[in-house]
Order: sequence, then structure tokens, then C-alpha cells
Amino acid sequence: MFLNSWSLGLTISALAVLILGGVAGRTALRVLRHWDPASDSNRQIRLEGETWLAATLVEYVLGFQIATLILFVLAADQFCRVIVGAMCATGALLANGYGMPALAVKVVGVFLYGFWIVLHRLDITSESYPLVRAKYIYLLGLLPLLLLDATLQTLYIAGLKPDIITSCCGVVFAAAGEQTGNLLANLDHATLLTLFYATAGLLAGAALLLRRRRPAPLVIAAALGWLWFFVLALVTVTVVFSSYIYAMPYHRCPFCILKPEYHYIGLAIYTALIVAAFAGITAALVHPLGRRDDLAEAVQRYQERAARLSLIFLLLFIALASYHWLVYIFLGGEQ
Amino acid sequence: MTIFSTGLEKQLNILDYALASFWRRKLKNLSVMIVFGAVIFLLASFQMVTRSLTETAADVLAAAPDITVQRLSAGRQESLPLAYRDRLAAIFGIRKVVPRIWGYLFDEGKGANYTIMGLDVAAMPGGEKLPQSLAAGRFPEPDETGGCVVGRSIVRIQGLESRRHFSLFRPDLSLKPFRVTGTFGAESAILTDDLIVTTLPEAADLFAIPAGLVTDLCVYVVNPREIDTIAKKIAARLPDSRVLTRSQILKTYQVVFGWRSGFASICLLTGLLAFIILAWDKASGLSPEERREIGILKVLGWETADILTIRFWEGCLIAALSYVLGVTAAYIHVVHFNAALFRPVMLGWSVLDPTFRLVPVLEAADLLLIFCLTVLPYLAATVVPAWRCAIVPADSAIRGG
Amino acid sequence: MESGCLNLSTGQPGLIELAGVCKIYNQGRPNEVQALTNIDLTVEAGNMVCLRGASGSGKSTLLSIIGCVFPPTSGRAAIAGKQLVRLPDRFLTLHRRRAIGFIFQQFNILPALTVLDNITLPLLPLGVAPGERKARARALMASLSIGHRERFPANQISGGELQRVAIARALINEPPIILADEPTAHLDSRLSLEFMAIMAELKTAGKTIVIASHDTLVTEHPAVERIIDIRDGRIHVS
Repeated sequence: MFLNSWSLGLTISALAVLILGGVAGRTALRVLRHWDPASDSNRQIRLEGETWLAATLVEYVLGFQIATLILFVLAADQFCRVIVGAMCATGALLANGYGMPALAVKVVGVFLYGFWIVLHRLDITSESYPLVRAKYIYLLGLLPLLLLDATLQTLYIAGLKPDIITSCCGVVFAAAGEQTGNLLANLDHATLLTLFYATAGLLAGAALLLRRRRPAPLVIAAALGWLWFFVLALVTVTVVFSSYIYAMPYHRCPFCILKPEYHYIGLAIYTALIVAAFAGITAALVHPLGRRDDLAEAVQRYQERAARLSLIFLLLFIALASYHWLVYIFLGGEQ
Repeated sequence: MTIFSTGLEKQLNILDYALASFWRRKLKNLSVMIVFGAVIFLLASFQMVTRSLTETAADVLAAAPDITVQRLSAGRQESLPLAYRDRLAAIFGIRKVVPRIWGYLFDEGKGANYTIMGLDVAAMPGGEKLPQSLAAGRFPEPDETGGCVVGRSIVRIQGLESRRHFSLFRPDLSLKPFRVTGTFGAESAILTDDLIVTTLPEAADLFAIPAGLVTDLCVYVVNPREIDTIAKKIAARLPDSRVLTRSQILKTYQVVFGWRSGFASICLLTGLLAFIILAWDKASGLSPEERREIGILKVLGWETADILTIRFWEGCLIAALSYVLGVTAAYIHVVHFNAALFRPVMLGWSVLDPTFRLVPVLEAADLLLIFCLTVLPYLAATVVPAWRCAIVPADSAIRGG
Repeated sequence: MESGCLNLSTGQPGLIELAGVCKIYNQGRPNEVQALTNIDLTVEAGNMVCLRGASGSGKSTLLSIIGCVFPPTSGRAAIAGKQLVRLPDRFLTLHRRRAIGFIFQQFNILPALTVLDNITLPLLPLGVAPGERKARARALMASLSIGHRERFPANQISGGELQRVAIARALINEPPIILADEPTAHLDSRLSLEFMAIMAELKTAGKTIVIASHDTLVTEHPAVERIIDIRDGRIHVS
């Protein structure tokens, strides 16, 4: 279903990203082959200049991918109007086997491109540019991801047939016993909420501790905790909190909260979650680099900032996600 | 030096310089902005018109029957015996079945195509509310001869502002007189502008359809969630029929509008591509003065990254101004000029071009779409030229000697 | 005579220290050029030296290395305490923006900017707030008697005033080292002497000044402690 503004928008963005990524990849190859910091040759000078291009390109890729991630979900919401049986974006994304994987790749991509930028910023604090090789090998590794993203998205759009029955979010996310064909069945609200708030509390505590001291076991535990929490949070928002935002018990959809009728609260919720998780996970990932003399100070400063950032955005996320639920619990009913 | 020591103050300083630099090259930047704004204007207009039409269609179709049953013979639509109504009586969940005659009449004299609909309006569920959709008058009574409600284009074409009577030709070229009992309002214009609603017998008379035959049956169900189930049952009972649900009709409108919009967008993409090439070209040209300026900045302590930031802010400024200009112009074009440039593409199948006003619908999603279609490619096209500016070496300022 | 070590120091490290510095352009290619060979040079803090050499002698290259514009190909170079060899361009720039003030041959003022904006250019990437930038610039303009030209576009002021704007810009980031490349080339004798008077004052204030010039008004000025001759990329002791 390409003959459609939304599909065109997504395709053009994907194309732009692939081009930028390709140029960055070319720089990566040249750097890996010819980089010689002791040399004074024209080539080394040119390569040093090209590293700025590569960094700018990855920053652009990150920005573009964030925009297209949002666009993808909004486009799915548009597609649902022409796909029979799809009530909202969830149904549209489940219309063929490529929709959800494409979305997942985009989300993962945001984290991975962002981490490259963190590595780059750390690298340029040291006069010896210690992470050059690692950085560009990592960059080359990101290229297949970009390609996968574009491919899944294209296959998804190509596979959309406006007259195929698909499931809708009420079916997919409803609790067992109401309708068949559900994805997240048998999830008890009480258990989910307990896990959710308990993990959040632990992560908040970890963030406070990590601002001062960073023993390796705590760092690793925090990183794993963040990974777990990210998935748990998405599930909890979908299964529990979303229906309170919609004020409809059978509407359990993670995407409709991005729409204007709900004041785009989904955008704020997901942004807070992604920033918090990113800060939390990357603070741990850069830990091994802190052992290097030339990076120790920069890594330490980053970890302090990231811990603080993850704490602030975690609290923001909890507040935004829980608000409607709490209003219902304490004040009852729609306000 | 901290990891993110770019620092807010430094960024603001660079932005300050970028603004001044943008202003110093205002002629060149203005030419780019005008072209970019025009491209955005075109794409945004299409997007708004499409959105507006689909929203309007959805609103109006809300009053359409849940299920429409028509008869197909050799793949073509044929008249349906009224007796089929009884076959549907046994299906559980149907609230009402309203027979309808729906056809088109070509008025040779005026060169216009009218849509004629004959049905008992009061028999429709919610039919008592329908008169509210009229701008004036009332629907004809079931036994009234010649009474009809007409759309605004009919009023205009038949000159019915000052009189109430007009005639149409039957197939045997005899004249059938009509008397206007009401006119449709502007809100439903997209579906009613060329519409004449009369009673079932009168429509049958006009088209010389034999008694006992209608063109379709309008089926209304009790539980909206059961529409698809009941539609399937009807199809099973009436194998020679075509069963359409309201959501299918709406989706068809959506797909057609979307298709048309997408098709037009592809045509506009060539314009976008031409602009991208222009943008690349403009951004790439580095005059000797500009080279000197960057060399001086570099010697004075500006990093390559800082020069890149200047170029980035300049690009953002051009994109932002063009975007605001283009989207605002598109909004004015759609709302105040009724999308005069694009209506033939979007609505082109009717001779009676509806003179309705497009309801402006602009959601943040549309703004993001237009942004991704236009600003992202522009930024992508200007990043390499911007970098080439930024790597001008510092020693180019120390020459001669 | 071949170059020897011109270190007149009392054993203290100099502000500018070059030892065995070589610079080769286009290394390894057919158009390879050795611009500097075996340069040894030490300049103490608070000294004023003059580099004298014809066009193509390597004077600009030496000035660029002292000015942290690019690193030497080989040898040791320490400028204001920072080793330059193997330093990436980014760190050269970061050091240069704090350590060096440049005065160019053609002044290299941006004509479209006002006098004030020209002077404060080096402060922008340092993240200095607008208020402080203006204050510092005004103080310098006052001491150089060009305060009344603050809002004038730089292409509307006289040659003498341009010279002072160039000096102000070189001083705004309070660098310990001032480099001037043929600063009097387009000035008459009166302005040249005025320029040297200002340089002498700066030297008294503790700045280290390196002037590349073959103008006798400069080379024979009493404030210049030493003249360094460059010929074919080597220093010749005179």
C-alpha cells in the first residue's frame, strides 16, 4: 500500500537514513583501514575531518529515526482506517508479520544509535582518541540494523492489503475469557503493578547509590534491571494504565495514547521511559571504559549525569503513567 | 572538560552567530526558502485536503445504513425484488429493512448528472431526526406526488432559488414534474449536492422501474458489533446479492482519497527532488569570502564541530521558516480558497463540482508527516555540504609569507 | 650559519619551546615539500622576538606551528606548556583558543560584522555570555581608543582603527602569546610606530610576542629583543 502519503513519508525517511548511514559507513571503512594518529600525512588530516562527518551523520540518523518511529505508529493509526477489522494502530501493526518487528527494531535502534553518540562524546575528551577503532567497528555493525529497519518497514507496507481481517487491540489485549486470540492474556493486574512499582523503586535506589559510588556488581545489576523494567513498563502501560487513560476497560492499546484526543500523553510517557532507560543502561555500559586512564574522568562524569537523569525521568515516567489510574482509584470514575 | 561541555551558553552563542550569518546571506537564503516553501505548500495542501475529505465523508456516512443489499447479475447491478425483504425477516438481529431506489439521471439540457434516491425517510431508524439536516423545508410524505428534497447544486442548476417546480425526463422522454419541499444544507454537501430525494413510488415512476422492484435494501441492525455477522448471513441467504457494510464503504472512500493523495504526492515528489538538488547546490557553493570567514573563525579558536553547528542552525532556520510559510499558505489555500488548485484531482469524477467548503482538519500527525516528507530530506541533503564548509583548514587564513 | 640552540634561558622552561622541529607537506607524495628542517627555538615568557624571512622561507609555517594551527611532523614543540606533536586538530584548537592571539597581515577582520562583533568573535565558542563579552570588549576598546567605533561595520573604519580592532580581537581571550604576521605591511610609518608602541606595552604587561616582519621599523624597534632569520626552512643565527 505504497500509494499513500504516510507510506511515502516513511519510505522517504528510510531512504534518507540509509543514504546517511551509507556515507557514515564509508568513513568508518576508511578510518579502520588508514587511521594513524602518529602520522602527519594529508590522508590522516582528511580522516580526522571525516570523523566529524561520521559523528554528525549518526546524530542525524538518531534524530531521523526518532521522528520516523513516531511517524510509523501514527501511520499505522491511519492505516487502521482502511484495514478491515483493525480498530486502531495495534490492529494495523498486526495485519502482517512485519509490523511489530519493524517497530521493535526501530525502538532498539534508538538505543543503539544513541549509544554510539555517547561513545563518540567520550572518545573526543581524550587527546589520544582511544575508542576510534571500537567506535567505527560498532558503526559498521549498525548498518545492517538500518537496512533491517528499512526492509521490515517496506515489507510491512507492501504487505498491507486493505481487505484482510486482522485483530484489533480490544481482542489482542483483552483479558482471557472475554474474547479469543489475545496476546497478553492471563496477566493479573495486581502482580503486574507490584512488580512494576517494586522494580521502579529498586532502580531509583540504585540510581541514588550510583551517583556516589559505582561498584561493578551494582552497575551490572542496574543495567539488567533497566532492561527488565523497560519491557515490564511497556507491558504495564499497555495492560493496566492505558485503559485508565482511555477510561474504557476493554481498550488496552499502547498506541492510542499518542493521539490528540488523549493530549498526546503517550508521547510524554514513552519519551520519559526511553530517556530514563537509555541513561540507566548506558551508564552501566560505559563502566568498563572507566578503567582506562585517559577516559576515567569523562566516564565518571557521564555516569553521574546519567544516574541523575535516569532518576529524574524515571520519576516523571511513573508519575505520568500512574496519574490516571491513581485518579480513578482515589476519586473514582471519569473526571 | 565535561563530557557534554557544549554548554548551553556556547550553543546560544553559536546560534546567535548563525542567525547573523543567515541574515547576511538573506538573498540566497530567501530564494531557497521560497522554493522550499512552495514545495511544502503543495504537499501540505494535498495532505490537508485528503484529511478534510475523509473526515467529512466519515461524518456524513455516519447516517448511512449499516448494511446495503444490492443484486448482481452477470457482475452488474440489477433491480432487486421487494420480496427479498421477507427472506431477511428470519435473520435475528435485524431491526429494520428499508427499500430504496437509487439511480443516476443525466440531464442533457443542463449537461449534469443527478443522483436520485427514492425511499421512505421516516421509515429509517433515526429518520425523525433527518429533517434537521435540511437547510429549509421538509422531506416529502410517503404518499405525496412529486415532492422532493434537492441539493444545493440542483437548486443552482435548475434555477430553483425563485421557484419550486421543475421537471425531469423519464426514459420514454415524457416529463415528470417535481415540486421542491426542502433543500439540503451545506454540512452534508459532499454527499448531497447533486442529490434529489423523493418517495419510492416517484423514483420508480421516474426511472420506469416496474412495481415490486427496488435497487437496494437498507438494513439496520440492533447491535452494531453484529454487523459483519449479519452481513455474512444475508449473503448466505441471498446468494445473488452484493452485501456492503458501512465500514466497507467508508474504507473505500479512505482508500480512494488516500490513493489519489498518494498519487498526487508522487507527482509532487519530483518537485521535491528538484528542490533537494537545488538545496545541495546552494549549500555546496563556498565563495572565497565564505572560505576566508571560516578560516578566520578556525584560527580564532572555533572547532570544526562549531562550524558544523552554525551550518546546522542555518539549515534549521531555513527549514523552519519554509515549513511555517508552506503550511500556513496551505491552510489558507484549503480553508479560504477551498483548495482551488487541487480539487479537480481529488474530486474529479463529478460534473456537478460540489461547491462545499472544506472543513479544515490539521492534526499534529499531519504536521509530522509533512515534516518527514520535506524537512528530513532537506537536512539530509545539506549535511555533507555543511561538513565540507566546516573542514576548511585554519591555516588558509594564514597565507602569504 | 647553521642553526644552533638559541636558548637564552636560565634553565626555566620557555613559553615557546621548539626542538628539532620539522614540517613536511604532502608527505610520501610526488609534491612533497620540506617546509621546516630541524628548528630549535625557545622564547621566554615576556619576550618579544621577530621572525625575518622572505616569502617561501617557511616563516608562515613556523608561525602556524607556534600558533598551534597544525602540529609539526616531527620534533618536540611545546607552546604554553602543551606538547603539540600527535595532538589531534580538536585539541590544538582548544589550546589555541586560550593560548594564542593572532594579528594577521590583512587584519582579517570580517567586514560585514560590527567592530564589537569582530572583537568578541574568539569568545563565542568559549561560552562567554553576551554581557561579559561586551564588557571585556569595551574595556579593550577604551584602552585602544576605539570605543566610539563600537557599532560601526568594520568596512567603514580607517586603516589605523582596523589595526586596533585586530589588536583588540587578539587580546580579548587574554592569551599569554601574541602572534603577528606582517602587521605593518599595509600601514604608514606613523601607524607602524603606533603599533610597535602598543606591542611594547603588552610586552611590559607580560605577554610573549612573536612578530613576523621584515619592516625595519619593526626589526629595529628597541622592544624587540631578538631577530630570528629563516631561510629555506632553517633558522640562521645573525
